[in-house]
Amino acid sequence: MGIAVEASGLVKNYGGVQALRGCSFKVEEGEVFGLIGPNGAGKTTTLRIVGTLIKPTMGWVKVFGVDTVEGASEVRRMIGYLPEDAGAYPNLSGMEYLRFMAGFYARRSDIEAVVNEGIQISGLGERLGERIKGYSKGMTRRLLLARALMVRPRLAILDDPTAGLDIVHAHHIRVKIKEYVKRGGLTVLLSSHNMLEVEYLCDRVALIDRGIIIEEGGPEELKDRYGAENLEQVFLEATRIG
Amino acid sequence: MVRILLALMVKEVKELVRDPKILLGVVLMPLILFPIIGSAIGVSQESAVRAASSSPIAIYDEDKGEASQRLIGFLEENGTVITLEASSLGEALTELEKGGYPTLLHIPLGYSANITSGRKAMVRIYANLRDLTITETVGAEAAANLINIYSYQASLSRIERLLGEVGATYEAEAVRSPIAIHYSSLVKGSLIEAPPHSIIGLVISQSILLPVLVMVMLMFAIQMAATSIAIEKEQKTFETLMTLPIDRLAILAGKLGGSTVVAILGSIAYMFGFSFYMGSALRFASQTPLPIGEVVLSPSPIGLLLLGCIIFITLVSGLALAISLAIFTDSVRAAQSLVGVVVIPVVVPAIILMFTSLENLPTWFRWILLMVPYTHSIISSKAALLGDYFGAVGGILYISIFTGITLYITSRLFSTERIITSRIGFRRGLRTKSKE
Repeated sequence: MGIAVEASGLVKNYGGVQALRGCSFKVEEGEVFGLIGPNGAGKTTTLRIVGTLIKPTMGWVKVFGVDTVEGASEVRRMIGYLPEDAGAYPNLSGMEYLRFMAGFYARRSDIEAVVNEGIQISGLGERLGERIKGYSKGMTRRLLLARALMVRPRLAILDDPTAGLDIVHAHHIRVKIKEYVKRGGLTVLLSSHNMLEVEYLCDRVALIDRGIIIEEGGPEELKDRYGAENLEQVFLEATRIG
Repeated sequence: MVRILLALMVKEVKELVRDPKILLGVVLMPLILFPIIGSAIGVSQESAVRAASSSPIAIYDEDKGEASQRLIGFLEENGTVITLEASSLGEALTELEKGGYPTLLHIPLGYSANITSGRKAMVRIYANLRDLTITETVGAEAAANLINIYSYQASLSRIERLLGEVGATYEAEAVRSPIAIHYSSLVKGSLIEAPPHSIIGLVISQSILLPVLVMVMLMFAIQMAATSIAIEKEQKTFETLMTLPIDRLAILAGKLGGSTVVAILGSIAYMFGFSFYMGSALRFASQTPLPIGEVVLSPSPIGLLLLGCIIFITLVSGLALAISLAIFTDSVRAAQSLVGVVVIPVVVPAIILMFTSLENLPTWFRWILLMVPYTHSIISSKAALLGDYFGAVGGILYISIFTGITLYITSRLFSTERIITSRIGFRRGLRTKSKE
């Protein structure tokens, strides 16, 4: 297995605020890698840099060996990005939205196949014919996950994919992520505040605090390292020490 | 590339026209609201004018002579007359107010004596302005018109009698008014049988419409584009778009293209609605029929083409400006506040040019106005309509240069992360934001 994402010495300044202070990590190809940390720790900034939305002030990120600044266009062909709390176009139907997005990745003849994949992932059935403005938060999130995964990206960047969702929708999303990773060919870089979700989904996690990675490893490995019962305790212990 | 651009444009158009607020405000409202308002104004004016003109003329005949009776007889033949049995003018005026009559004709003492002895007689018309509306003047005007007709006929018959007494063969009409003036005006090489003030009045009324049309169209477009961008940022659909394997300039072009299509639809709806409004509101207004419509108001095919170019480039310019500014906002409310500031250079030239032309302004102020691109939208539209093609092309070039610069800046902004991170805080100015 190769390296899917390699971040080195990431620094990001927003005016006078330093969001990242030398963040480095590696994500193996085919694994689910979780970034966990408190609000304002730098998770979204990191994911935005990997997703080519913003450039680091210092340091670099490579996605499958391609620099996210120099080769942004090439990186964009390999990723599926799901922003935190994102919406979709309220006046399009779910089906129109999937077809619209599929058109940017697939040839005309392949669009229907991609859309069908999206229909399967979303699990929204006939509701896909309705306008998105009538969707609940959970339904919209399922649609957006379908959009991100249906185009078979090599790397899915999921910013807090189940934030604010009820158990049913959150479970659907976790199951689908797991299912698509198991199929092979997909690496996932996600952030979350839900430690149970992280334990369920992630092969490895990195604890980020105040713009820097303070701990990294598998969930079990981290729990053993800190003698903790769960990742929440690990996080509290690690940040206290940090 | 074309397929991607088309997909982005179709998405934009669907999003906009399916939004009830935009559909109602931009397309349906002008088509429904303007004709309704126009009809309401037309109907109310028509009924008010009819009521006023058919309303009776109250007469206080202080003279009670033979000549005054002849005048009253003429008025009775041509309208409704109520003779007030008052003992004084003050009492007659009290009755006028109490009775709610629109007009009182006072024939003063000595009227008949003056008429009989060949001196100029005088009557006075009192208008009862209870509600201070324009239609209340109609009653007084109707009374004055009747008296003028009577006076004219009396004058002619007296001239005829005098001419007969001296055995002269002159025409009574020619004696009364020996020289008649007929106006003709040369407009763009065509001779029109109409007085110049009538033509200019018509052209001015037409030129007032142009700034209004351009202003409203631009305000629609700017508001719509800014809101559309703000919604994309608020919903974070922009973030998703920016990570797709497509050129960011295609995203800008798709947004511009889609917004332009809807803005053109809105403008067409507005123009239709406004023409219905004008037609309905003014259908009862008495207008001198002037044979100048084809010459002055109907532009040639080249003029129409230039007008189309001006409207198109003005729209693109306004949209590009709105998009480039809305990039810095992160909510619909912030975008709409910003638009409130942006429309000032649109509204100011339009309002000024509604009431005067550039030539009448002080030189320094004229130059300031000329620097505003949307001033050229208005003066070029007028130039295109009036056949000044050189002036119209000059305006198009100026707006195009401004639009080009705006588009260049917008495209540069689209290529940077400012589109994600920047926002305008109205208290703290431009700043970047950090989510985490």
